[in-house]
Amino acid sequence: MRRRVAPYFLLGPGAAWLLLFFVVPLYYLGELSLNSGVFGSYEFSWHWANYSDALRLYDSQFVRSFLYAGLATLFALLLAYPLAYTIAFKAGRWRNLLLFAVVAPFFTTYLIRTLAWETILSDQSPVVSVLDAVGLAPEGHVLATAGAVIAGLTYNFLPFMVLPIYASLERLDVRLIEAGKDLYASATQTFFRVTLPLSAPGVVAGTLLTFIPASGDYVNAQFLGSANNQMIGNVIQSLYLKQSDYPAAAALSFVLMALILILVIVYIRFAGSEALMGEEAVG
Amino acid sequence: MVSSNKDPRRITALLAALVALAALALGLAACGGGSSINGGDTESEEVKLEKKASGDVTISNWPLYIDKQTVPDFEKETGVSVKYIEDVNANEEFFAKMDPLLKQGESGGRSLFVVTDWMANKMHELGYLQNFDKSALPNFEQNLVSNLREPNYDPKREFSAPWQSGMTGIIVRKDLAPDVKSICDLFDPKYKGKVEMLNELRDTVPLVMKCLGIDPSEASEDDWMKAIDKIQTAAGSGQIRRFTGNDYGADLTSGNAVAVIGWSGDAVQLQADNPNIEWRMPTEGCILWSDNMVIPVGAPNPTAAEDFINYVYDPKNQAQIEAYVNYVSPVENVKPILLKEEPEVAKNQLIFPSKSFTKNCTIQPSPTGEEEQNLNRAFNAVLNG
Repeated sequence: MRRRVAPYFLLGPGAAWLLLFFVVPLYYLGELSLNSGVFGSYEFSWHWANYSDALRLYDSQFVRSFLYAGLATLFALLLAYPLAYTIAFKAGRWRNLLLFAVVAPFFTTYLIRTLAWETILSDQSPVVSVLDAVGLAPEGHVLATAGAVIAGLTYNFLPFMVLPIYASLERLDVRLIEAGKDLYASATQTFFRVTLPLSAPGVVAGTLLTFIPASGDYVNAQFLGSANNQMIGNVIQSLYLKQSDYPAAAALSFVLMALILILVIVYIRFAGSEALMGEEAVG
Repeated sequence: MVSSNKDPRRITALLAALVALAALALGLAACGGGSSINGGDTESEEVKLEKKASGDVTISNWPLYIDKQTVPDFEKETGVSVKYIEDVNANEEFFAKMDPLLKQGESGGRSLFVVTDWMANKMHELGYLQNFDKSALPNFEQNLVSNLREPNYDPKREFSAPWQSGMTGIIVRKDLAPDVKSICDLFDPKYKGKVEMLNELRDTVPLVMKCLGIDPSEASEDDWMKAIDKIQTAAGSGQIRRFTGNDYGADLTSGNAVAVIGWSGDAVQLQADNPNIEWRMPTEGCILWSDNMVIPVGAPNPTAAEDFINYVYDPKNQAQIEAYVNYVSPVENVKPILLKEEPEVAKNQLIFPSKSFTKNCTIQPSPTGEEEQNLNRAFNAVLNG
């Protein structure tokens, strides 16, 4: 008897928390998204047109958001994997220090880190004159371009990519790599046939942890982008806080959630749920 | 502000405010729904005053909109204890926060807050504001400047009292964009990627209308759309670097932007910090606006709130605020006082503009209802590319 009650008892606080701060707000958001009328007198009326409007009016921002988030995820992966690999296998006694260095930016708030990029990439900065000299700043400025937004996203979400990959590499059984070598596989072959597949759960977790928040991000686009680089998060923020068009903002939030969910499901299908769950799912 | 949480006097004050609120709610219930708070008719009730102000009063205002001395001075003179909070950062945001409360006839303990003309108008239309009892506002009656006495939305100044006014125009880096003199100049390809505009529908769009030769005070929805189209083209081509709130100041200082649409009070501050930054009155004229003190429904202690309005409309007290704030004062006879104490402030055209300085300026238009919604959506599409 006690065994049967205990799990529910343990689930209780978390479930209550989610119910209060996720399900209830979600319900109100859903209700709001079906309101119609003008600012000041919105009324609930099953107004599904908010959803079709959201997709019709803001399709380009959706595409842009997923493109930027996708590119940022890719760049973060390319930067994070070698970094995590080095920390896990080659860092020796520097391992903890390097891990600390990866997490250190989190001691500063997200907003300040992004504002720092605004300063680093400002038009008169040495960084920009170098980029300009080698032809990487065709418009004469780096801020207010897509490149700046993607770079900002990559930077801000990098630790979310590094840590899961590191975690999966760190617990990798090195005897398997030795076995690969014993069986006359080259270093490259061992990496692609042993190390990479075994670290796939970390890669999948890292890409999800980067892609999902990056798709909904609005801070990077606001500070580092121009009017032509605004993402869907910016549209929602400005609909809600500047235009006071709550129903449209709510509908757009739901569409964003749904699209991310679809993309994630497709991705997990493609990447294989075994990779996400690790050996537990396989075994 | 931080330590006030621990101050036992403040806690008592908070409790008192809560009790007052509860009493008020009971009182309303006892009336049997006699008051029409959200009824859609715009007949507001007048505040009920006591003989003498006492107790506590909570005032919400925009950040950095008052000097450090005025509130303590007011407390000393009246014996009222003031909780002054700077929690109005944007009209829309503040409205989003207050709307659910005001809908139920509550003000979240606030007795007075400050919002821009169009927001005061909107709140009044929704029945969220109370009318003043003018008998307690002799200074306001006497000293309000003449050009602000009869705004369209409140021709008798029954529910709104200007806190400060200001102008929206052009701010430039005179070393980098010496020849920008008009709104039309902002569209000069020479400054491609170096121009910024405010993300405010009612500031940016009317100014661009002026460049198109349209009078914003008589503009139709089509006229607004024409201006929005012009802005959209400029944003799409990269002429406009980005749309900003008052963070354009940082971009001007760093040189990321060389000409922006901005606010006069910011210009005073930016000019003082960087001699290369300069306000340019657009040749087409500027947009004039005011932020207004209003008393919301359910406001505890309206007597103290009105006392505060009356207090800041005393030219002597207003001069003290004005020396700090740098926006345009709505109170008569402040200039002579400041000429003696702070002659530089008194001689500044951005703080005490002459009639000829603002001759082409237009009072900020505020579209409502469906037109407002359509314009908001169109402008939002521009802001987000």
